[in-house]
Amino acid sequence: MPALSRRAFLQSSAATATLAVAISATPFVIAQDSQSSGGHVTPCLRIDADGNITLCVPIPDMGQGMETTAAQMIADELNVNLDDVSVELMPFLGTVNDGGRAVFGRFYQGGGGSGSTMRIWHEIRGTAAYARALLLEAASRRWQTVRSGLVAREGAVFNPASGQSLPYGDLVPHTAGISDISEAGMKPKTANERTIVGADARNVHSRAIVTGKPLFGIDAEIPDMLHAAIRRCPHLNGRVISFDDTAARQIQGVIDIIPVDRIPEDTAQWRSVAAGLAVVAESYWAARKGAEALEVTWDETVSTGDDTGLLREKCLAALDGDGMTTSIEAGDLDAAFSEASHSIEATYFHPHWAHTCIEPHSCIAHVKDDEAEIWVGHQFMNSAINGVKDATGIAPEKVKANFYRMGTGFGRKAENDFIIEAAILSKATGRAVKVTWTREDEMEQDYVNQLAAYKLRAAVGQNGAISAWHLKAAADTTPAVVTREFPARLIDTYKTEYERVPNGVTRGAWRGPHHNVIAWVIQSFLDEVAVETGQDRLEALLSLYDRKTALKSLNWPNRDITFDRFRGVLRKAAEEAGFGKSMPDGWGQGIAVHHTFVSVCAHVVDVQMTGDRDYRVHKVTSAIDCGLVVNPLGVRAQVESGIMDGLCAAKYGKWILDKGLVTTNNFDTYQKMRINEAPSEINVHLLDFGDEEPRGTGEVSLPPVIPALTNAIFAASGKRIRELPISENL
Amino acid sequence: MSVSFTINGTRRSFDGDEEMPLLWHLREEAGLKGTKFGCGIGQCGACTVHLDGEAVRSCSVPMASLDGANITTIEGLAEDDALHPVQEAWIEEDVPQCGYCQAGQIMATVAFLKDTPNPTDEDINTGITNLCRCGTYYRIRKAIKRAAVAMQSA
Ligand code: FES
Ligand code: FES
Repeated sequence: MPALSRRAFLQSSAATATLAVAISATPFVIAQDSQSSGGHVTPCLRIDADGNITLCVPIPDMGQGMETTAAQMIADELNVNLDDVSVELMPFLGTVNDGGRAVFGRFYQGGGGSGSTMRIWHEIRGTAAYARALLLEAASRRWQTVRSGLVAREGAVFNPASGQSLPYGDLVPHTAGISDISEAGMKPKTANERTIVGADARNVHSRAIVTGKPLFGIDAEIPDMLHAAIRRCPHLNGRVISFDDTAARQIQGVIDIIPVDRIPEDTAQWRSVAAGLAVVAESYWAARKGAEALEVTWDETVSTGDDTGLLREKCLAALDGDGMTTSIEAGDLDAAFSEASHSIEATYFHPHWAHTCIEPHSCIAHVKDDEAEIWVGHQFMNSAINGVKDATGIAPEKVKANFYRMGTGFGRKAENDFIIEAAILSKATGRAVKVTWTREDEMEQDYVNQLAAYKLRAAVGQNGAISAWHLKAAADTTPAVVTREFPARLIDTYKTEYERVPNGVTRGAWRGPHHNVIAWVIQSFLDEVAVETGQDRLEALLSLYDRKTALKSLNWPNRDITFDRFRGVLRKAAEEAGFGKSMPDGWGQGIAVHHTFVSVCAHVVDVQMTGDRDYRVHKVTSAIDCGLVVNPLGVRAQVESGIMDGLCAAKYGKWILDKGLVTTNNFDTYQKMRINEAPSEINVHLLDFGDEEPRGTGEVSLPPVIPALTNAIFAASGKRIRELPISENL
Repeated sequence: MSVSFTINGTRRSFDGDEEMPLLWHLREEAGLKGTKFGCGIGQCGACTVHLDGEAVRSCSVPMASLDGANITTIEGLAEDDALHPVQEAWIEEDVPQCGYCQAGQIMATVAFLKDTPNPTDEDINTGITNLCRCGTYYRIRKAIKRAAVAMQSA
């Protein structure tokens, strides 16, 4: 890509500084541009003229704490105290690939797959260590002394021999032009040199949050922008047949009504943008009123077969049909079942879940002839920029993107529909346009978690151990992940099958995709088997995960799984919770374990039945192995968060399609837990298996909490939950 | 019709669409983005502000009803640089994850503690009904109790 456009590209920034960087020959290091560093010493450190230090982090924060985690890594290398510095988001520092798409450069700049921490672990520390080396080198040149005798600490370089010191800010201009730092001089710290990585750090933006600073995408505004509210077709895959905008146009402040077509046009393909009518106005309120005043006739016929009840029946029927595809198998299944002393079978089902991101989506776009700018909260910087290209044809090098904090994302803010809409409307009006979604939009136009049914069979031998495993899954997506999951392969004789039931529902990543529901199906069924065969539930799990030492996971990201970690988190959670202790009538404990991506987590849930159809979760005891822990306080926050999210989705999660019409479109029809249902005690234990690298946390605690809950409900009430949500099936 | 009221001690008047909820006046006209939009139907509490000292959900308060009202938003809670004890407690307990709901949680808590200075768990369960999608409830409960203690000893 040509140098000039690359420069322009790199200037996209939520910060005001113009940053141009050159990639040095040294791996994982990006040096500052000597011409216009804007106070930058590498992209991760900026110091203003008054000496104020800002750490620049590569990955947007949606509550997972990445800005704090990344700031810890940088602060540790630079020996600065997090309380003494500011933290801001870097601009996109990627490039454009041969296909004309924006791609990440040195830094991974997205939030997903619980992978952010591990994906920047080397790059960000290496870059910060390089910044430290540059500051030390600059001081050594100033003092004409050797660099190895100098110390960087508390935001300054000290010379112990002479007692001199220079704040980093004074050294910034002198770092320009230094290009001969040896690789040894810029090594990140070793584990025992680190003081900030591994220690508790509070959310670096807490003060701004509790004082109401405008940090979020929805808070962004630019001079002279217009507002748009889009009346989107509430019928799945529907479109506008006709409309009357007379009343809407009479509302003061309304400027224009612009039809937005479905993208793609072919309704057999997944929706990328919903059909609707955009009301463009001087103010958001006028746009909203205008949208409500539109009289629209919708084509509601396209997806009437996409109905929660119908889809449920289709999936259940598919389990016994002949449309299944074999995923993996080994051993002689039929022989194992006929030889078994016992065989156990159960059917499970769960409906769709909506994301309900607390911050409704929004985006400002300003599209000009051959360049564009956006202001948005989005999980993936590269993808957001590509969204503008898709909407306008403008090359990524010509897109300036300003990224903001997100009021949760959960996978939904990885989609581009709100960006594409803003870009289309800006192009149509020739003005900057801010599109703001309502809650109803956010839920009606969601990319939901899948709906699925499962049939599981276990053959059990004399000793109570499972000798064969048979799992079938039918879903409105291809449910292959569950078929590749353990205990298949831990048990030597197995067969797993799946079928995708045709449908028009748009689905997407929902915190812990697939894992969020399959942990429940598998761990609940294992609990059933243990109970039915009279085994101790914990011992049954421990011996299952003791059958093999390690296996390569067949699910993304295909890492080697060592089962001592499963046993380790199970034992720790059980021990800390006093699992198996005697409890009063109507109380019970449940235990479950699951690995999501690379990390593994176990929970024990303590519940009390409060009547026949309800319960209260009193306590959750958790043990997680997420590799090296950068921020213990932050990991605990994420585990607590996943626990709440899982308990809530399991109890209430049900996004309902009534013949293609979403009927659960706000918090009055889609219930969420509040503080009164939150466990009053959560104890999180972080296990150390000696890893030298992080493994990821944000999605990991959610999957196993659902089976731990339903297993606890069984222990407390004798009722086995095989269909979600629990609130409708207890 | 023109209504006049104060926001964080500053007099303001309004003669626009009287059906408009206070939330949008705060966010789009008064430049106060701390009050958040979450549902628009009074369910989530992200838009909580104080109206004459009481917690209200500003998405459900029409501008027409505000003549003579005194409104406090999250931006008006700290006095100069000194944070309110509830804000302090939120930082101490490291409550915020994404942070989007927290202005509403804090405003709800400040009003709640005025009526219930020494809350039990049950008081908290019935008195605080705001939604947090990040599930920070465990820490919110601790922060409410911490703030209650701090305010009683102040
Ligand atoms: S936005 Fe007002 S209660 Fe949700
Ligand atoms: S902190 Fe994210 S919604 Fe409450």
